[in-house]
Amino acid sequence: MKKILLLGWKDLTLAFRDKAALILMLLAPFALTLGLGLVTGGLSGGSSSSGLSDIPVVLVNQDAGQLGGELVNVFQSAELAELVAPQVSGDAAAARQLVDDDQTAAAVIIPAGFTAGIIPDAGTGQSGAAVQIELYMNPSRPTSSGIVQAIVDQFVNQVEIGRVGAQVTVSGLIVSGRIQPQQAAALGEQLGASQAQAADSSRITLTGVEADSPAVEFNVLAYMAPGMALMFLMFTVSNGGRTLLVEKAHGTLPRLLVAPLSPAQVLLGKMFGVFLTGTAQMLILIVASTLLFQLKWGNPMAVLALVLACVVGAVGWGMLITALVKTPGQAASIGSAVMLIFGILGGSFFDISILPAWFRAASRITPNAWGLDGFGRLAAGGGLMDILPDITGLLAMGVVLFGVSLFLFMRRGVIQR
Amino acid sequence: MPAILEVQQLVKKYGDKTAVNGISFDIQAGEIFSLLGPNGAGKTTTISVLSTLYVPTSGDAVIGGHSVVKEPMAVRNLIGVVPQDLALYEDLTARENLSFWGQMYNLSGKALNARVDQVLEQIGLKDRANQRVKTFSGGMKRRVNIGVGLLHQPRLLFMDEPTVGIDPQSRRAILDSVKDLNRQGMTVLYTTHYMEEAQELSDRVGIIDHGDLIALGTQGELTRQVGEYEALQLHISEMDDSEALAQALRGVEGVVRADVIDHNITLITPEAEKILAPVVSRANERGIRIHTVTIQEPNLEAVFLHLTGRALRD
Amino acid sequence: MKKILAIFQKETILRFTSPIEWLFFLILPLFFTFVLAGGTAGNMDTRTRLAVVDQANSTLSAQLIAGLEASGSIRPDVKTLAEAEDEFSKRNVSAVLVIPPDFTLEKLREGALALDLRQLPNNLNSLAAYQTVQTILGRLSSSVEIAQQSVQAAEDLRPFENDAERAAYFDAALDAAQTELSVAPQRVATAQALVEDPVEYDPRANSSAGQLITWVFIPLFGISVTFAYERATGTLRRLLTTPTRKATYLLGTLLAAVFWALVQMLLLVLFGIFVMKLNWGHSPAALAVILTASALAASAIGVAMGAFVKTEGQANGLSIMLGMVMALLGGCWYPLELFPAVVQQAVKVLPTRWAMQGMLDIVLRGQDLSAVLPEAAVLLGFAVVFYAIGIWRFRYE
Ligand SMILES: Nc1ncnc2c1ncn2[C@@H]1O[C@H](COP(=O)(O)OP(=O)(O)OP(=O)(O)O)[C@@H](O)[C@H]1O
Ligand SMILES: [Mg+2]
Repeated sequence: MKKILLLGWKDLTLAFRDKAALILMLLAPFALTLGLGLVTGGLSGGSSSSGLSDIPVVLVNQDAGQLGGELVNVFQSAELAELVAPQVSGDAAAARQLVDDDQTAAAVIIPAGFTAGIIPDAGTGQSGAAVQIELYMNPSRPTSSGIVQAIVDQFVNQVEIGRVGAQVTVSGLIVSGRIQPQQAAALGEQLGASQAQAADSSRITLTGVEADSPAVEFNVLAYMAPGMALMFLMFTVSNGGRTLLVEKAHGTLPRLLVAPLSPAQVLLGKMFGVFLTGTAQMLILIVASTLLFQLKWGNPMAVLALVLACVVGAVGWGMLITALVKTPGQAASIGSAVMLIFGILGGSFFDISILPAWFRAASRITPNAWGLDGFGRLAAGGGLMDILPDITGLLAMGVVLFGVSLFLFMRRGVIQR
Repeated sequence: MPAILEVQQLVKKYGDKTAVNGISFDIQAGEIFSLLGPNGAGKTTTISVLSTLYVPTSGDAVIGGHSVVKEPMAVRNLIGVVPQDLALYEDLTARENLSFWGQMYNLSGKALNARVDQVLEQIGLKDRANQRVKTFSGGMKRRVNIGVGLLHQPRLLFMDEPTVGIDPQSRRAILDSVKDLNRQGMTVLYTTHYMEEAQELSDRVGIIDHGDLIALGTQGELTRQVGEYEALQLHISEMDDSEALAQALRGVEGVVRADVIDHNITLITPEAEKILAPVVSRANERGIRIHTVTIQEPNLEAVFLHLTGRALRD
Repeated sequence: MKKILAIFQKETILRFTSPIEWLFFLILPLFFTFVLAGGTAGNMDTRTRLAVVDQANSTLSAQLIAGLEASGSIRPDVKTLAEAEDEFSKRNVSAVLVIPPDFTLEKLREGALALDLRQLPNNLNSLAAYQTVQTILGRLSSSVEIAQQSVQAAEDLRPFENDAERAAYFDAALDAAQTELSVAPQRVATAQALVEDPVEYDPRANSSAGQLITWVFIPLFGISVTFAYERATGTLRRLLTTPTRKATYLLGTLLAAVFWALVQMLLLVLFGIFVMKLNWGHSPAALAVILTASALAASAIGVAMGAFVKTEGQANGLSIMLGMVMALLGGCWYPLELFPAVVQQAVKVLPTRWAMQGMLDIVLRGQDLSAVLPEAAVLLGFAVVFYAIGIWRFRYE
C-alpha cells in the first residue's frame, strides 16, 4: 500500500513539473472559461440578461407621413436607449452597404407611402396600397438583428391593431347608425391613435419565474468553469496514461517490474498518481475560479465528493485509452481527440439540452455529462443527496472501465516484465 | 599531399563559456585524423563549426579551399557529417531516409537511387531497406546514421563518436567500414574518447582537452613525447577480485596508475620490467593467478595522462 | 525546387504515417461541424422546445398553442404538469409555460389573465421563448381589446338598450377584429443579403465556417511541433550541414503544411456544399483568396511559435490551446455579436476573427471577391509579421 502511494506521489510530482502538460491542465481551462465567460456576458456584469446591448442599427425614413417618424422615435426612445444604438441615414443603398460590411446589425428602411398605406386620407377616406418596411438583416449577427426585427414587428403590430381597431369601431358605429359615413375619416384617425396605445398594454400578463432557489446566485461562469475543468481533466488522465507508455519505452517501467512489486501494484500506483493529479487539477481550478471569478460552486463537501467521483470516471477512460494504444504519441493524439469529443458530447461547450434525445443519451458515456449535471445541481443549491445519481454513475463508469483496461493490459502484456 | 582541411586559431564560445580555445591543425587528403578527448572536451563543438553549423567566435577553417565562415555552402558540398546523436526520421523507412537526405545533398533521379542502393549495401541493411527506422536496433540505426553521411561521396567525412553506446560487434563493423572508406580514398575526421579507436584507426591524432589542442602528431610522435611511460597489462581469472588486486598494486613502487577494465588491469609505469616481479608476488600473496602479462609500448592513454594528469575516462 | 518537393514529400509521409492524423484531419472536424450544425439538414428541428402545460383546454389556449406552433422560433410540447416539471428540473427544457384553468375568452373579456412561464436562468433559449410567448399573447388579447374599445365608443355616443345588445355588439366587433387582423397585409419584408439567390440565414453556415477555421488552424499551429520534433531529433541540425538553405527548409515545411491545410479546407467546404447545402461555392475566386490567406496567416503563427517552444509536447499543447482559444474568441464557435463591445474590438488582433469574417462574407452574405479583400489583406499582414518573427528568431537546436 505504501508503495502504491509512493508511486502515485512520484507521478503527481512529475505531472506538475511538466510545463507542457501544465499548459493544458491549468492554463487552457482557465483561458477557455474566460473566453466563454466573455461570450455569454458573464463577466461584463451587463444589465441585459442576453448580454447584448447597444445593437447598432441604421434607420432610413423615406415616409412622408407620421408613422415613419414614430418608428424612428421608437428606436430613439429612452426605453431602448441601452439596447439599441440607432443611426439615421438618408441613403438606403448606403445603409445596406453598412450591413454588408458588418458595420451594423440591420438596416430598417421605411419606404415612401408607408403611412398612407395604413391611415386613410382625411379627405378621401381611402388609404393607399400597402407598402412594406424593408428590414435588411445582418446574417452574421442573428441575435442582434432578431431583436431589431422584434422591435419593428411590435411597432407594426401596434399600428395594425390601431388601424383594425379604428376600422372595426367606425364601421360598427356606422352600421349601428351612431355616425354618418362622412364623419368616418376624422373619427377613424382619432380612434386609431388611442387603440394603438391600448394595444401596448396586454391584458394577459406573463409572469416569468426563474429557476429555483433564490439563495444561491447562478452565474454562467459557474456553468462554463466546470465544463472546461472537466474537459481538461480528460487531458490529464490521458496524459497520465501516456506516461505509463513513456515509462515502458524508457525502461523505468520494466525496472519497476523487476523491483519487488507486483504488476497490479505498479498499475494501481500509476492510476493513483493520475487520480491525484486529476484531483489536484480540479481542486486548483475550483479554488482559483472561486477566488478570481467569485464563482459559487455550492456545498464544499458535496463538490469535493463530486470531484473525486469525476476523477474516478475520467481515470477509467484514461486507462482504457492507454490500454488500447501502442505508443506514447498515439496516446497523446487519441487523448486530445477524446478530450475534444467528450467536451462537445458532454456539454462542456454548449447546452446540450436542445439536442436530440439520442445525443443526450450518448453523452452519458462521458464523465463530463455526469459531472456537469452534478455541478449544475450543486451550484443551484443542491446537496449531496441531489447528486447521488451522478456520483453513482461516475463511480460505476470508473469501475467498469478499470476492469476492461485491466483485462486488456493483461492480455497485451503491457505490465509484464 | 595538400591539406584538405586547415583549422586556423579556431575559437568558439557559448556565452562566456569557451568550448574551443583557439585550436589549429590540418588534415591531409586521404588520411584518417582522430580528435581524441574526454567528455566535454570540445569535440562536437569543433565538428559543428567545421560543418558550418556554428559560426566560430574567431578564427576560421578552410576546407578544400573554401572558408567555413565565408563560403559555407561550398563547404557543405564537400563534407559529409555523421552526428554523435542519431539524426534520422524514425517514422520513415531506411530507404526513405536515405533518399530524403540524398536529395538534400543535391542528388536526384537515377543517380540518387543508385547511390541509395550502394549505401544500403555498404551498411548491410539492404534486406531491411523498406522497414521503418524505429523498428531497428540501436546498431542498425547507427549504421543508417552513418550511411546518410556517405550518400554524396564527400571528400571529407566528419564522424562524431559514431560508436558511442553500441555493442562490441557493431562497433567492430563500424571501425572496419571507416578503414574501408579510407582505403577507397575518403578523408576522415574521427572524434572519440576511446583511446583504442584512435590508436587503431588514425594516421595522426589530435588530443583535445578543455577546448585546447594539447598534443598533435602521428601516434609515434606523440608517444615519443612521453617515452618514459609504459603500460603493463595483466589478465586475471574471472573468479578473482580484480578491483582488490588493483588497489593492492597501486601501492607497488613505480606504479603510477592502475586501471581496471573487467578482468584486465592496466598499470602505467616508467619501467615495466622493474615492477614485474613485485606485481607477480603481490598477486601470489592474494592467491590470484595472472593468466597473461603484456608490456605495451607507451600509448595514447599514457600520453593523455602525462599531459593532463588525468585519465581519458574517469 | 526539387529539394522543396523532397521536404514536402517527407513532411507528408511523416504526417499521415499515423492513422490518428485522419482523426484530426477530417473525422473530428466533420463530426463537430455536424453536431454544432444540429444534425443533418432538415430532419432536425432548431426551434427551441417549450414545454406547455395546458390546464385550461379552452379555445383561447388552443389558439395560443397554435400561435406558438406557427412561430418560427418555438416548438411547443404539450405535457402534464408533472412531466414538465421533471424535464425542467433535469434541464432538458429551458422553459415551461403553464396555462391556468381560467385561461378562457370569457375570463379575458372580464379582465386580465396571468400565465406562468418558468425559465432557466441566464439562458438565451428561454429568453427567446419569453419574447415569442409575449408577442402571441399580445395578438390574442388585442382583438378582445379592440372589441372592448369599440363597445366603449358606441356606448359613449348612444348607450345600449340592454346587456344582450351590448354583448351582441361586442361579439360582432370581436369577430370583425379577428378577421381583419388575420388578413392584415405583410408590412415588413426581411432580407439578408443582396444577391440574386436570396440567402437564408442558416446557423449551420456559422458552424461550417467556424469549425473549418478551428480545425485547420490547429494543425497549422502544429508546424511548431514539426520544428520542435526536428530540433529534438537533431535532423534540423543535420540538415543545415547539407548544402540546403534554411529558406529552402522553411519553404518546404510550410508548403507541406499549407498545401494539406488547403486540401483539408477544400474537403470541408465540399462537405458544406454537398451535404449541408451551404452557399460556399458561388465565388470560387473569393473562396480561394480567403482560404489561402487564412492558411498563410495560421502557418505564420505556427512558424513563430516554433521559434519559441522548447519541446514537442509543449508545442502540441500550445497549438491545441491557442487554436481553440483563438477560434472561440474569433467568433468561430459563437457569433461575435454576443461578445461585449470592448471584446469585439479587442479580438481584432486575432487572425481567426478576420478569417471568420471573410468566410461569412462568402457563405452567409453571398459576397464576392471584392468584399473579402480587406479581410484577406489583414490576414496576409498577420502572415508577414509572424513569418518575420519566426524567421528572425528561428533556432535549429
Ligand atoms: N549549446 C551549448 N551551449 C552552451 N554550452 C555548450 C553547448 N554545447 C556544448 N557546450 C559546452 O561546451 C563544452 C564542449 O562541449 P562538446 O559537446 O563540444 O564536448 P564533446 O567533446 O563533444 O563531449 P562528448 O564526448 O561528451 O560528446 C562542454 O563544456 C559543454 O558543456
Ligand atoms: Mg560530443
